[in-house]
Amino acid sequence: MDVLKQLLGRLHPLVVHLPIGFIILGLLLQWYDRKRKEYTKVISLVYLWGGISAALACITGYLQYLGEGYAFDTVKWHLWSGIATALFSFLMYAKLQEIQRIDFLGKVPIAVLAVLFFVLISFTGHQGGNITHGEDYLVEPLPNHIKSALGFETFEEKPIVLNEENWQEALIYDDVVKPILNNNCVSCHGKKKTKGELQLHTPEVLLKGGENGEIIITNNPENSELYTRLVLPKNDEDHMPPKDKRQPTQEEIELIKAWLSIGNPFEGAIGELGMEKELFLSFFPKKHNADYPDIQIAAASQDTINAIKSHGLHVEHISKASNFLEVSCINKPSFVDSDFEIIMPLKEQIAILDLGGTQITDAIFEKLATLTNLTVLKLDATAITGKNMELLASLEHLKSINLTGSHLEEIYLRNLESFKNLEIAYVFGTQVEGEGVRRLKDGQITIDYGNYELPPLPSDSIIY
Amino acid sequence: MEDHIQRLIQEKIVRETQAKTRRHFIKSCAQGMGGLALSSIFMGCDPLAKPMAKKTVAFSERDLNPLATLAPPFAPKVKSVIYLHMAGAPSQLEMFDYKPQLQKYHGQDCPQSLLEGKKFAFIKGTPKLMGPQAEFKQEGQSGNWVSNFMPHFKKVVDEVAFLKAVHTDQFNHGPAQLFMHTGSARLGRPSIGAWATYGLGSPNQNLPGFVVLTSGGNTPDAGKSVWGSGFLPSVYQGVQCRSKGDPVLYIEDPDGMTRDLKKSTIDAINKINKEEYAKYADPEILARINQYEMAYRMQIAVPEVMNINNEPENIKQMYGVEPGKESFANNCLLARKLVEDGVRFVQLFDWGWDTHGNIREGSIDLGLRNKCGEIDRPIAALILDLKQRGLLDETLIVWGGEFGRTPMQENRGNKKMAYKGRDHHGDAFTMWMAGGGIKKGVSHGKTDDIGFSGIEGQVSVHDIHATILHLLGFDHEQFTYEFQGRHFRLTDVEGELIKEILA
Repeated sequence: MDVLKQLLGRLHPLVVHLPIGFIILGLLLQWYDRKRKEYTKVISLVYLWGGISAALACITGYLQYLGEGYAFDTVKWHLWSGIATALFSFLMYAKLQEIQRIDFLGKVPIAVLAVLFFVLISFTGHQGGNITHGEDYLVEPLPNHIKSALGFETFEEKPIVLNEENWQEALIYDDVVKPILNNNCVSCHGKKKTKGELQLHTPEVLLKGGENGEIIITNNPENSELYTRLVLPKNDEDHMPPKDKRQPTQEEIELIKAWLSIGNPFEGAIGELGMEKELFLSFFPKKHNADYPDIQIAAASQDTINAIKSHGLHVEHISKASNFLEVSCINKPSFVDSDFEIIMPLKEQIAILDLGGTQITDAIFEKLATLTNLTVLKLDATAITGKNMELLASLEHLKSINLTGSHLEEIYLRNLESFKNLEIAYVFGTQVEGEGVRRLKDGQITIDYGNYELPPLPSDSIIY
Repeated sequence: MEDHIQRLIQEKIVRETQAKTRRHFIKSCAQGMGGLALSSIFMGCDPLAKPMAKKTVAFSERDLNPLATLAPPFAPKVKSVIYLHMAGAPSQLEMFDYKPQLQKYHGQDCPQSLLEGKKFAFIKGTPKLMGPQAEFKQEGQSGNWVSNFMPHFKKVVDEVAFLKAVHTDQFNHGPAQLFMHTGSARLGRPSIGAWATYGLGSPNQNLPGFVVLTSGGNTPDAGKSVWGSGFLPSVYQGVQCRSKGDPVLYIEDPDGMTRDLKKSTIDAINKINKEEYAKYADPEILARINQYEMAYRMQIAVPEVMNINNEPENIKQMYGVEPGKESFANNCLLARKLVEDGVRFVQLFDWGWDTHGNIREGSIDLGLRNKCGEIDRPIAALILDLKQRGLLDETLIVWGGEFGRTPMQENRGNKKMAYKGRDHHGDAFTMWMAGGGIKKGVSHGKTDDIGFSGIEGQVSVHDIHATILHLLGFDHEQFTYEFQGRHFRLTDVEGELIKEILA
């Protein structure tokens, strides 16, 4: 019997479309027939069918309410308005059939009744839809500002903003844990939706737990479902969030664990609680760490690039995500100073320039100084001595310069100190003497002299 | 000269006509008609379709040169990879994974709980635990453990990131090597180097993009499939070069063939190919023309880059090279030279690490010590040499075997063996990475007290592949190749970035 109840109950979403169809058909016919009144009989019949099918829908709907365990509060409006719709349909039938017993309605014009009926069925249908799809189903696709103008609560991601300066003052719950839960969990476990009777948007409800009881066991993350559910395999049915939903990052999960293991405090700053900085590093702003400047530039045209390639120069994009280019003479060792004109059309886009092993001279520096976005420069195995190298000091993005195997002279090496953002210079294999690394400019610039050695050991078995 | 070519062309036409039978004619007629009908249908359907003739002219650079460079989706951390594979599987317990507790249990029976459900290649019954056969010290600023088998390595220990709890699901050399290099223990998948050259190309027009160098006497058990191209076009497979004799087999012109004659032969072939192209406009023909020219250039470029004699004395000493021989040290120096010249992927295999203890060379105390001696200096030299040339920041070095070795002494046939040895073990072993985008001087992952299983920071072979691809500028989940109706990845359906070792 229970099976039949559930089965019939589940037919409700199907059956409801019959009365909707009949009633809308009846209303349309009524409107079409408003002047001639030729179809009254047909229309009344349609409403009779509408009433009967609506009654069926009411029965299946009631069974579904019983079988699926909805709270009465959730379905009450739909339930009462559904019954009202069925009754109204019979009423319309009676009115059109001019049955005596409903004389009390005699004075109300049929058009008014029709309009009321339309409103009623729309309301009933909408309530039903809200139960199955959720109340925000229709408004969800709207942009946030329209949603809030319509009076709906909007879900907004709350970014976690920490940095080198403020991380110790940040509040553990308000600034870190709450945003993590908000961004990953609250859309299903919050005020609007309360799946599994669990809410996660305030300290009180977090401590209360859900239908399976408490989710936080004090100081014991390994037994707290707030943590254990996150680390179950993704295919596990109990894994949270469900696998097709947004997932918290590894670092966020670690943080929840760390927070639970210090007794889930809702007050207090990170610094006061003595939590380790490592836990929060992933929320610090990402440093731009690539071989090109952190700015947007226009792309070079493919024709320009092709023209340069036809001279035997190698040109490639550093990545598909950037318009910056790397230009290299790897296939053109015959490159001389005057060939520089070839690459001038790309002077804005070149971030990496490799002139290693070419025939350039110190006259190249004047030209190199025009490459405003140059970040990595390779002049290895060339005849440059470093004279005029100070012209590159104006290049604010220049990070790395490779002078290995060139004719670099000691006196010009000091010019590197005037470079704004230089990080490293390689000078191995030049006339400059030294070994290992030395730092210039308070450690900002590293000079790698190379000449590393592996002194022979008695245990050596391979000896040149 | 012209005359020769004319005659060749004439001959080609005659041969072509002779080869065509009536059946060929009817067959190609049928195909042609069908093709015409089909193409008109497809062209009619697709409003964006360009006229055929135009399409064949607007070829991409890749049609001409399969190694033309392509930009990776994300900014790469490294341009090249040098992968050092110790074929046979080195013992982590004598090199980097220090287990003082294991010494305490030395000679005791291995607990049954560890053996249950495990498969070993040779171990039978209940083996005995064997303590570390080397002495360990904490080295460098990082204080990471290095054994006395690797005395030079301490100089570079602060450059590398150790992975102490790598695991694999294979326990025999062949499948495990395939898994390590292609992401699958079965044949047919492209190797890491093939994926890298397919995805990125290679900038140097005179050298292959993927070079393989072997030492130690044998090629790996899994054969050349470990540097194969699988279902990728075969141009992306590794080119095996040798440090002894001709760097590439048959690269030298035969006696009596001069460079000029070779050039004019290739010119003639290409002239015919160009005419063929003018007739059919098939980009494959252009690719062929290009390859002839590249091969001609390589004949000069490869012997040049493969020659280590011109290197300065101190560099040769640093690596400990043995000119004229096939050695791991030579290969390390070559790897540097190749990377310097823009080669995308250099794969080194060193054979002879299978220390079962059945023979003296394969003993964990004597044989392994010798093998370590053969790689210790060259590896340290390679890292330092790349560093001083400013290349370490744009190169990734990966070191490892196909699996690790057991904390138990091998008891092949349930007997005591002639020498001390350890069996194959995939549950936990050590690998390391160094270079661009890698944290310096860290150690990720931990094994239990006896080094049997990983207990923290376990990483899989797929995780290593995901990390290598990441450093080259790819998202391993997006980098695919369609084959047999499926999008294939190097990491198949697994793999997670090892963020802990990324700088």
